[in-house]
This record gives sequence, structure tokens and C-alpha cells, in this order.
Amino acid sequence: MGYYILTYLCLAVFITAVGRLMYRHLTIPVHLRWEIYPVQGEPADKVSYGGSYMEEMNWWEKKRKSSRVNEIFYMAPEILLMRGLWKENKRLWQMSFPLHLGLYLMLATFLLLSISSVSTLCGFAEDGGIMIVNGLSVATGWIGLIAGVIGSTGMLYKRLADRELRDYSTFADYFNIVFILIFFLCAFVAASTVDPLFNASRDYVLGLFSAGRAVPAYVPGRSLPGALTIILASLLTAYIPLTHLSHMFMKFFLYHRVKWDDTPNRPGSPIETAVKKNLEYRPTWKARHVDTDGKLSWREIASSAPKEMK
Amino acid sequence: MKKPLKPSDISKKSDCLCRIEEGELAPLPPPYEDFNQNIPTPLKAEKTGNIETSLDNTVAIGIPRPASKEEEEALIKQFLSGLQKLFEKENNWTFLQPLLLSLEHCARCQTCSEACPVFEMSGRQEIYRPIFRSEVLRRIYKKYIKPGGKLTAKFTGDIDLNWEAIARLAELSYRCTLCRRCASVCPIGVDNGLIAREIRKLFSQEMGIAPKELHDMGTIQHLKTGSSTGMTAAAAKDSVEFIQEEMKEITGYEVEIPWDVEGADILLIHNAGEILSWPENVGAFAIIFQAAGLSWTLSSETAGYDVVNYGIWYDDVQLSRVAVRHADIARRLKVKKIVIGECGHAHKALTVIADRLLTGDLNIPRESAMVTLENIVMSGKLKFDPQKNDFPVTLHDPCNVVRSMGIVEPQRRILKKLAPRFREMTPHGVDNYCCGGGSGFAIMSRYNFAEWRNLVSSRKKFLQILKAFENESPETPKYVCAPCSNCKGTIRDIIHYYRAEERSRLYYGGLVELTVNALAGMKKPIINFGDKPSWE
Repeated sequence: MGYYILTYLCLAVFITAVGRLMYRHLTIPVHLRWEIYPVQGEPADKVSYGGSYMEEMNWWEKKRKSSRVNEIFYMAPEILLMRGLWKENKRLWQMSFPLHLGLYLMLATFLLLSISSVSTLCGFAEDGGIMIVNGLSVATGWIGLIAGVIGSTGMLYKRLADRELRDYSTFADYFNIVFILIFFLCAFVAASTVDPLFNASRDYVLGLFSAGRAVPAYVPGRSLPGALTIILASLLTAYIPLTHLSHMFMKFFLYHRVKWDDTPNRPGSPIETAVKKNLEYRPTWKARHVDTDGKLSWREIASSAPKEMK
Repeated sequence: MKKPLKPSDISKKSDCLCRIEEGELAPLPPPYEDFNQNIPTPLKAEKTGNIETSLDNTVAIGIPRPASKEEEEALIKQFLSGLQKLFEKENNWTFLQPLLLSLEHCARCQTCSEACPVFEMSGRQEIYRPIFRSEVLRRIYKKYIKPGGKLTAKFTGDIDLNWEAIARLAELSYRCTLCRRCASVCPIGVDNGLIAREIRKLFSQEMGIAPKELHDMGTIQHLKTGSSTGMTAAAAKDSVEFIQEEMKEITGYEVEIPWDVEGADILLIHNAGEILSWPENVGAFAIIFQAAGLSWTLSSETAGYDVVNYGIWYDDVQLSRVAVRHADIARRLKVKKIVIGECGHAHKALTVIADRLLTGDLNIPRESAMVTLENIVMSGKLKFDPQKNDFPVTLHDPCNVVRSMGIVEPQRRILKKLAPRFREMTPHGVDNYCCGGGSGFAIMSRYNFAEWRNLVSSRKKFLQILKAFENESPETPKYVCAPCSNCKGTIRDIIHYYRAEERSRLYYGGLVELTVNALAGMKKPIINFGDKPSWE
């Protein structure tokens, strides 16, 4: 049961940490615009060369055209295939892509095992569709493990061998990669030696959904690699959102809330309401031209003259 | 071979952390090889006195060294207090989210380095790598601001904080032109340009440290006298009157430039540098607006005749003050919109950045002059003769107009119609390279900074210009169209420094001059190559 408790705790840490990150960035004050073109939310004809609505005469009198579809078409290969890195830094992509693919496929495998487990709990274990899901989980599992081992080994090698990467890497960067590499190696050894069809993994996930009470819930500890895999996978799940590895999902904010946020401030819009609220904050910057000791709001300061003029 | 520097070396005691050696800068092609051994002239101690020069023997700010240990400690304390404020919504709601995201999610993959023209052209000097200064700030933030940072510093990247580190970081924030090419290629979306600007802001807003050209002679003078050039309203009016006369003399076109017309459709605000240094730009706008029958006006209110906003480069408070001043003038004049003349940073400051500062009746619509010009040229109201522009033309894209605003095609549509020998630079549009004068560099020239700009930050642009005209004879006059005052000033300096007018017959100017140069019915051209008119 200790293994299940560890996994539950780690999942709780993951959910709490991700939730905290999301909450922080969803409730943070609206910032000044700082977009970079091309903004993928623009219509396709503009995106093709990086144009914006500001190329139009009297654009504020027109209905704004934007395209979520363009954003999705851009983000899907960006997330799944790491298109940006492929375009700008192919040598790193060769190692970074398999590493990320490995992690994505581990997540996909967990989701497929979860579907299978829930179906078993619901009495559909022998269903044909579930057989396909089980087959898929074996495929994603093996491809993911192989890609992950290659990618994390390659990334570790690159960080150590490439002077430009090495000089900017901290102990935490190496720790992260080694942690991921050890996880992939353990999982690979476990799959190779005791669980080639991921049946034990499926049973463990079933156990997670039933608090270890369902049959045939896996009894952890049957093999050392299996036990280590469970421990490392759980710890890695908790660890990712606590580090810069969270860029995998925080990229949403970097793109949608900064790089592509070109929403204009129209009169009466929610943006205007947010800006009005921001202008009431009272800064405490100390330089002579701004020093107000927290007594004046941004609105008052912006309408006032600096002390140097008085 | 030099030992590569690491971010933690920023606090190392030494006279000069990084010195560019002869022959290290990216090579220039013939006939400019004689510049290949040039490096920024080392500063002499008697000239710099007590000024901190230990980053790279170049000075942008000129920070005096602390006189005592106590003073040093007080400065470190002040710096940390400012750093803390960067992460507080009351103090930094303006950029808190972008800063947090960029500081916390960099994978240090170095993809940004290859996109940075300063790093590339400097011969890959480590300190100019976009991530170098970001990593310094990131480590200081993690160690000295985050709870438990001193305990985890060995794990997350250690760094010592002393006077050297602080002074060098301040200087280093002025070795980036904020062109944001690095941000545009980052697979994660991290923006090292933004981090450089946040560092500048910390120094300015908390410690009162900023280049004189940007603060004392910049935003303060702008708000006080009306222009960062120091030009008063009366002087501006006199100059514009002179421009009217000059336009008649140069082009034979009689133009009336309107001032303070309440209820006009357009308030046109130029970079006042145009009035002083490129009067033909101001005159050309007047000619084309008058010919097109637009309802427009200039403003003689303090700051109403100078659209610059240097706050965009270093200080959110000053940025807000200038933007509010501009908007308030337009509001009181009851114009329908502000049209921003050929000034790139003012485009971004007033249109994009100020968009989330101006509310209610201060939120006057703002438009780029390039859009207005395109509308005039394409409307069919006026006749043009493109053959008058029968000389090689290339276009420099101001970063603030293309990458930061997405205004890419209007200027091209004009050039394709009016300049038959127009050719693009490579790369161009949103992938362009900065002129090297971005983020205030164009107007900063104390100590040896102008030389550093000409040799390092503008070098890529010079190479691009030469490449664009490589198939033309050296005797053919060539026109670099730079629709931005600061870019234009930087290109002027490049041409002068490398003697490119003599060697390659390079000339420069704005977009509106090319437009008026092709206007049918003009008696004489507005563009001249040296003392020769561009058409007879």
C-alpha cells in the first residue's frame, strides 16, 4: 500500500503545484502589450508574413478578425514535434525531441492504461475496444521508453560535451536530466525483464483507481525494477511542476498571454476594466523622478511631472 | 585563446571582464577590409575618472564607483530592494507576468544566441550572449530574493553579489538593442530582450541610474521643454516655418503647415529629430498630406511636436508620463486620430504599449504614418511617376514597426509601386536585423559608445545593406529607405563611419521622401545624392 500512497501523494503534489502555477498566472494583473509578430491568432493572410490588424486604415472602426484555428494549427506541431526547435536549432532537436516524445508517450501510456483500468472496473475488460487500447498502450509504452532513453542520454551527453550548454547548466539541470534518464532506464529494464506487455503496469494503474482493492491489482515489489519504476515515476510527476521543466505546459502562457496577446484595449472592454484597476496600484519605487512613498497611484503619477522638473 | 566566461564571473574582481581584440569582429567585405582590425578605442583612466568601466571598457551609463565599503553595501541593498519590486504587482504590474514567465522557464538551450546580431558580430563575446545577462539576473533573483535561495544556490546556480556584479549588469543591459530577435526564435517563448529592459528599469526606477541621453536629456527634457532635442515650441514653429520656405526652394511646392487646428481629423506627431536633422521628411509629409487634401494639424503644446518616448527603453513611469501627455494633447485638440510619423519606437510606445495605459477619453485612436501613406498612394487621388525613383532602393525594417507591431506590408506596397529598382534585404520583415541603434543606442554617444555601436551593434545592418546592393556598380547612387528617425540616424552614422558614401555611394532617407520624390507635377526632386538631384 505504501507504493500507492506515494503515488497518490505525488499526484496530489503535481495537481497542487500545477494548480498554483495556473492560478498565479490566471489572476496576475493584465500587463502592457509585448507581442511579437507573427501572431498566430491573426487571419491566415496576415500570419503568412507576420502582419497585424494595425496595417489597416482606421482599424478600430472595424470588427477584429482573429483565428483560433490558426493558433491550433501552429501549436499542435509546436508541442508535439517541437517545430520551433527543429527550425532554429536542429542539432539540439535531435536529442530534445526524443526526450520530449518519450515523456509525452509515457503520459499517453498512463492515460491508455487508465482507460483500460476504468473499463475493467466497469466490467468491460474483455471488450474488443479495450483490447485495442491495451495494444496501443504497449506500442506507446515501448516507443516512449526507447525514445526517452535515447533522448535523455543524448541530452545529458550534449549538456556535458557542448561548452555553450555546459557553462550555463546548473546542478539542477544535470539533476533533472539524470533523474529522467534513471526513470527511463528503470522502466525500460522493468519492461524488458518482467513486464513486456505492460500487464503489471496496467494492474498497478487499476490498483490506483481502486486503492489497491480491485483484482487483479498489482502488488508492488514483485520486482526491483518494477518497484523502482513506480517510485521514480511518482516522484518525477511531483517534481516536474516544481522546476523549469514545467515549461512543457507553461508554454501556453508564454505564447497566448505574452507573445501572441495583441488584444486591443477597446472602450468598455474587460481589458479597459483591468487597466483601470492596475492604474490604482500604488508603487513604492525610490528613484527621485518617481519617489512617492506609496502615496500616489500609477494614474496620478502618470499625470504628474517628475521631481526633477519641480 | 580566451577562457570563456560564465555568468558567475560577473562578480569577479578585474579591470575588464571582456575585451574585444583586433580581428575578432565579424569580417567586412571589400572595399571595407581596412576596418577589420578596428575595435572600440580603449578608454583612458584620465578620461573616465571614477566611472565604472570594468565590463568591456565601453561605457553607456557612466556609473561612479562607490567611495567606501558602506556606500557599496548601501548600493547592493538598493539593488536588491529594486529587484524585489520587479516581482510585486503594485510596482510592476506592467510587465510582471512576462518577466516571471521568462525568468522561470528558460531551458538554456542557446537557440537565442544564434539570432543575436550583437553576439554574432562581436566575434561571439560571451558577455553579449542574450542568455548571459538573463542568467545573471535569474541567479541573483533565485539566491537573494526567493525564500531559501541562499541554501539552494549551489543547486540552482550560484553567484556572488558585489559592486562589480551590479555595475556590470547595469552596463550589460545596454549592450542589447531590445530588437527581440532572440525572443522570436525561442521555442519556449522566453524573452531575453524583456529581461534586459527589466534590468534597466530596476536601475532607473529604484536607483536613479540611467544613461543621461535617455533620462536627463531624454524624458525629463522632453516633458520639461517639449522635446528631447531641447527644442521649445517657439523654436519648433520657427523651424517648421523655415521648412515651408525650404520646400518651396527645393521642390518648388508651396506648402502650408497647420498648427493647433482644433477638430482636425489627424494630429501628426513627428520625432522632433526630423525637424532638426531631416527637415525634408517633415516637408514631404506636409506636401503629401496637403496634396491628398487631408485634414491635419501639428501641435505646439509641450511634447506635442515630439512623438519620441524614451521611457520605452528604460522606465515604465516615464513611459507612462510621456504617453499620457501625447494622448491628452490629442484629446484637447479633439482630433479623430493621432498619426505617428516615421519613428519606430514611438510607433510601439504610443500604439502598442500605451494601449494598456490609456483609458476613457485618453484612448484616442493611433495609426502608423505608413498606413496613412499607403492609403494616399493607393487611393488613386494623386498621380505618381515611379521613373523618378529610378535608382536602387532597399528597405530597412525598424524592429518596433515590424516585429513588435506587425506593420510589414504597407511600406512594401508603396515601394513596389513607386521604386522600380526596389530590392529586399535578407532577411527582412519580421525576421529583420536591428539597425544597431535600437533601444536608445542611436542617441547615446558618450565616451566610446558610438564607436562600439558602429563597430558592433550596427555591423550586421551594414553587411545587410552592402549585400542588398552587391550587384550594383560602386558609382551608382543607392538609397537605403529607413522609415524611422533613430534607424535613420544610425544608418547615417554607419555611412559616415565606414565612409560608405565615398566607397559605395550609399545614401539614406525616409519613405515619405521617396513618395514625394515620385509625385507627378513636382518641379524639382526632394531627394538629392550629395549635391546631385535624383532626377532632372
